[in-house]
Order: sequence, then C-alpha cells, then structure tokens
Amino acid sequence: MAVGRAENLSFAYPGSTALALRDVSAGLAPGQVTLVLGRSGSGKSTLLRAFAGLVPHFHGGRFSGRVEVAGLDTRRHGPARLAGIVATLFQDPEDQVVFTRVLNEVAFGLENLGTPPQKIEARATDALASVGAEHLAGRLVTELSGGELQRVCLAATLALEPQLLLLDEPMSQLDPEAAEALVELALRLARDRGTAVLLSEQRPALPLEVCDRVLFLEDGRLMFDGPVRRAGTWLEQHHPLFLSAGGWAGVHRPNLGEATCRLDEVSFAYEDNLLVLDNASIELRRGEIVALIGPNGSGKTTLAKLAAGLLEPLSGRVERSGRATYLSQDPGRYVLRERADEEVAIGVGGDLAAASRTLAAVGLAGDEDRHPRDLSSGERERLALAAVLAPEPDLLVLDEPTRGVDPERKHELAALLRANTARATLVVTHDRVFAKTVADRVVSLAPDRELVHA
Amino acid sequence: MAALLFGLAAAALLAHHTVSVAALAVLLLVVCLRAPVSRRWPYLVGAVGSAAALFVLTPFVERLPGTVFWSGPTIPVVGTLDVTSTELSGALFNACRLAAVSLAFSAYALWLDHDRLVQAAGFARRSVLAVALATRLVPALERDAAGLVEALRGRGVEPEGLRGRARLLSPLLAGSLERSLNLAEAMEARGFGRPGATRLPQPRWGLREPLALAGAALAVVVGALWL
Repeated sequence: MAVGRAENLSFAYPGSTALALRDVSAGLAPGQVTLVLGRSGSGKSTLLRAFAGLVPHFHGGRFSGRVEVAGLDTRRHGPARLAGIVATLFQDPEDQVVFTRVLNEVAFGLENLGTPPQKIEARATDALASVGAEHLAGRLVTELSGGELQRVCLAATLALEPQLLLLDEPMSQLDPEAAEALVELALRLARDRGTAVLLSEQRPALPLEVCDRVLFLEDGRLMFDGPVRRAGTWLEQHHPLFLSAGGWAGVHRPNLGEATCRLDEVSFAYEDNLLVLDNASIELRRGEIVALIGPNGSGKTTLAKLAAGLLEPLSGRVERSGRATYLSQDPGRYVLRERADEEVAIGVGGDLAAASRTLAAVGLAGDEDRHPRDLSSGERERLALAAVLAPEPDLLVLDEPTRGVDPERKHELAALLRANTARATLVVTHDRVFAKTVADRVVSLAPDRELVHA
Repeated sequence: MAALLFGLAAAALLAHHTVSVAALAVLLLVVCLRAPVSRRWPYLVGAVGSAAALFVLTPFVERLPGTVFWSGPTIPVVGTLDVTSTELSGALFNACRLAAVSLAFSAYALWLDHDRLVQAAGFARRSVLAVALATRLVPALERDAAGLVEALRGRGVEPEGLRGRARLLSPLLAGSLERSLNLAEAMEARGFGRPGATRLPQPRWGLREPLALAGAALAVVVGALWL
C-alpha cells in the first residue's frame, strides 16, 4: 500500500491563472526512493509541498483532486497534523532554522510532536550521528558552513522518523562527496526503515544510479512515471541532457590573450584569523574559462571574491586588468529595482537598451517590465547572470551559477559562456558535469587549501 | 540574565534623576562594548542614534517654560520654535532613558542564549519564541544588507552616500518578509502549533539564576524609590 498518493491533483497558486500542477496522479510506496525530475518551474517543489500538506494549507490557491498521506486526506489534515508522518527538507537551509544551537534545532520537531522529554536528546543526537554531524551538537548554527547546515536540517527531519521523507533539491549546496553520502543515507532509510523517499534534484546523475522510480514533470504535467530502468530510455529520447555526463557545449577555441587576473601566493583569513587560503596562485587569461572545484569550506568563494576584487588578501599579490564582475550564489541579491531591465542597467550606468539586449541573451526577452521578485527562481538566476554580463567585463566570476538550475538550462548557460572568447571566466561550482561542459581548464582547491591545476 | 537586563531597563524607566538614568545607560553600554565589533555595531548605532535623534528633536516639539537659548521662526499649527533650558533637560532625560532601554535590549540580543530563554519559558512559549526570532532580525538584516552591497560591488557599483544606502531599505524589508514566510512554512511543516508539545529538559538552576532574579527585583525597587 502506498504511503503517499496523489489522484488527479491540479493546483494553482493564489493570483496565478497558470496551473503549477495539472492532473497529476502518482503513488509513493514504502521502502522506495522516487526521483522527481523536470525543468525549473515544472512543479517539482509544488508536488513535494502537496504531499506535506503545505499546498493548499499554507499557500492557499486553487486545489482539485486528492492527496493522501498514510491514509490521511491532506485537505482535512494540515501540515502540523501530518508532521512526523511526513518530513520535508527545503531547498534553502538558512530559511528553515528556528533555534541558534544545533541540538535545539534538531529537537524542535520532536518537541512539537510531543515526544517524551527524556527521549528528545537521545533521538536528536542519533539523528545527528546518522548524518555524521554529532560533533556539531553544541555549535551555533550561524557558525556552520552551508554544507554543515544542510546536514543539520536533514538530521532535524530524520529525527522525526517519518514514513515519507521529502527532499527538495538537497544536494544543491553540497560537494560531490557530501552529496553521495546524502544519497546513500536516503537509500539506507528506504531499505532499512521502509521510509518512502521523494527526492527532487537538478544534479540527477547520482540519484539516478540508486533510485527505484522516476517521475518527470513538464509544465505541471506528469510526463513519465516508471521504474528507473525505463526512465533511462525515456530520458534519452525526450530530455537527453538529464542523462548527460558532460561534454563541451558548442565550439570554443580559447585564443589565450593576456592575463586579466593573477593571484600570486595569496593568503586570506576572516575575523577568526583561521587561514581560509594559504599561498594560493592562479592566473586567468583572456579567452579561457576556468572551473574552480573543491569540497565545502575549502575556500572557493573566498578565492573568487579575491579575484573579483571584493576582498583584499592578507598576504600575497592580486593583479587585475580591466573590469571584473562577480555573480553571488544568492540570486535574491539582485532585486534592488522595480523592473528587471532597471536592475540589469545598474551595472551599465542606467543604459536600458544594453540591459534589454543582455536580458534577451539569457532568455528573458519580454520580461523587462516584470518586478524581479515576481520572477521564478530559475528566472531570478538568469536575471542575476544578466546583471553581471551586461557590463561586458574583462573578468567574469560566477559563484555557483547552477544552483537550482535544470540540466537543459545549464547546457544553455554553458553555451552562452563559451560563445564569448574575449574575457576570462572563473566558474566556482560543485557541479562536476557542468564544470566538464563549460570549462577549458579545471582547478581544484583541496581540503588542505592547495590549488591543483588540471 | 534576561531578568537582570529587564530589571535594569525597568529601573531606567522608573528612575527620576537624569544622572541615575545616564549611569545605567553607561553601565549597559560597557556590557555591549564587550561584544565583538562586527556584531555590536548595528545595535550601538541603533541605540545611540535613536537616543541622539530624540535629544535633538524633543526641544522643538515640546513647549516648556525656562531660559530661552534659541528662538526660531513661527510655523503654522506648531507655533514658535524655541529651545529652553527645561526642554533641553527633559530631552536629555528622555534620551538617556531610551538609550538605557535600547542598550538593555542590545545586551540581551548580543549576549544571551536565546534558545535557553525559549526553553526555560514556563508559559507563553510561542510568544517567547516570537521574541527570540524577532531578535535575530537585526543580524539577519545586517547580513542581507552586506549581501546586497556585495552584489552591487560585484557589478562595479559602490553604493554612495545616505541616498545610495537608503535605496537598500526597501529590498531589505521585502527580503526579510520573504524569509519570514519561508521560516513560517518550515515551522508548520515541523509540527509547530500542534497541541501537546513537550520540551527538551533544561539544566537545573545554579546559583547564578536566583541571584540574577533577586538582582532584577532589587534594580526595579531601587529604580522606583531612590534613583
């Protein structure tokens, strides 16, 4: 019997005429890992929210059809009632933290469910141990890296011992090793505890290796629902880039010019005086695209900010020629103006024509007059990219530009970057497939902070 | 500790002499200055800035007798603008009061373990949690503001002057609303608001807690009767 079942589910968010989900029917069996794929805005997160009861209870909107979780109709039982039976890990860990200490954070859900007080700490500690984070129990959440915080949030969901675990792009901030550990954990939960796991992901290569079943959503419609062995054939026919192991996107003949940025034995430490970078050297030449990879907390973002001139080194030398622009990991930082074109025009002295051209280049033609906050998450990513491309920099630094971006859009992004041979581009990424697709050269920051050029 | 800070703030509100209130404000300022620079500055700017603004504005909106130090133009509805000795001393008293209360809140935000406060709340736990979450707003806004400035600098644009920084206010507020909605959704998904909630057992009270409570009560009494 299915733990979760959606029957003819259709849903539209309040104020929207477009349906986010259209007539979706699917069941989630105990002990099964189900991977839900689809382009950005195809309805994956909405489907997960429907199984958690957040749609329609938290969001409102028009809801038709039926969703049942452990025999409970989600129209009659809200998210708080379903909590414990269902547990959700949301995309952005920073937006789901309630307490300041890790142990209290993990205990929060257990307290809400009325767990006997003497059992709370043991269950919270066990959950932390299951994600390899027991050493973080006494730490402040503000001191944790993105990857560590993601693990703490995962522990908070696991502590509830749910029958249905919903994971909404949980790997988006994790390095490949941590992502692999997370997928293994999901598999272990399904096999050992019989938990039904529904996982949405934009880096599908790894979960495709272990999941039992695949759902594919397109514009809110369920286009494919079947076992993983059939999914491969279907994806190859309809969306081959979801299976891609990476390959160059378009022709790019690096015609290496002069160095636009040179970091020479650079060291850096934040306020805590711990060295984040130690004697790192790298040269970025006009015409090449360099991917910077490495585990969580290895100093990739710091190196990128040093290259872009946003930080000054503690020691060593940074030389830069021409203009540099830097794309932040968070597209929510590109919402200063009321219109998309005005936002992009900030970097080009208010030139709206240049802004419109850049918006068209990233696939946002016709969206000039929309408010940046009204754009979907995928569209916001593109707006942010347009904002740093518009000044036509000599050095373009992109920090995790593929977070939450679907494989097809990633391929388009790679092609867009590779079409330009006049600038130097540094791409910080956890996404090895994207690195392989876009870069002429890959540089790895090892945990010991040493740069390895390949 | 929270009770002690509350007691000091209450004493500042109940005290009658400017010198006593100023002494309390200085004491609380010293407590805040012991926090790391990167964390304390938004609180200090907020507390000292609002007190200074109150001191500057009060003489213009109050009409009290006394030695006239300055007499300005007559404005319709408001009347003649002037600054008298009584208005100045009243403004100083109120500014010290505001500074003391703001600094007590700053010390609470900078030094206290908010989790422990929520866990220790014997009643109205939801309200205490709401206060604890609201306390986090200041550092969250500070982080968001730094992020917005960094994103601007990443485009080669430096936000200049008061006007340049003021333009960040609206996106900051909109961002914090978005963040609070996301948090509310995550809390509901984790069963917040369900009846029958329990709590993680807290460590027993040591000597410090009853001492702090007694100190708080003493501060209120002393503030009301002798300061």
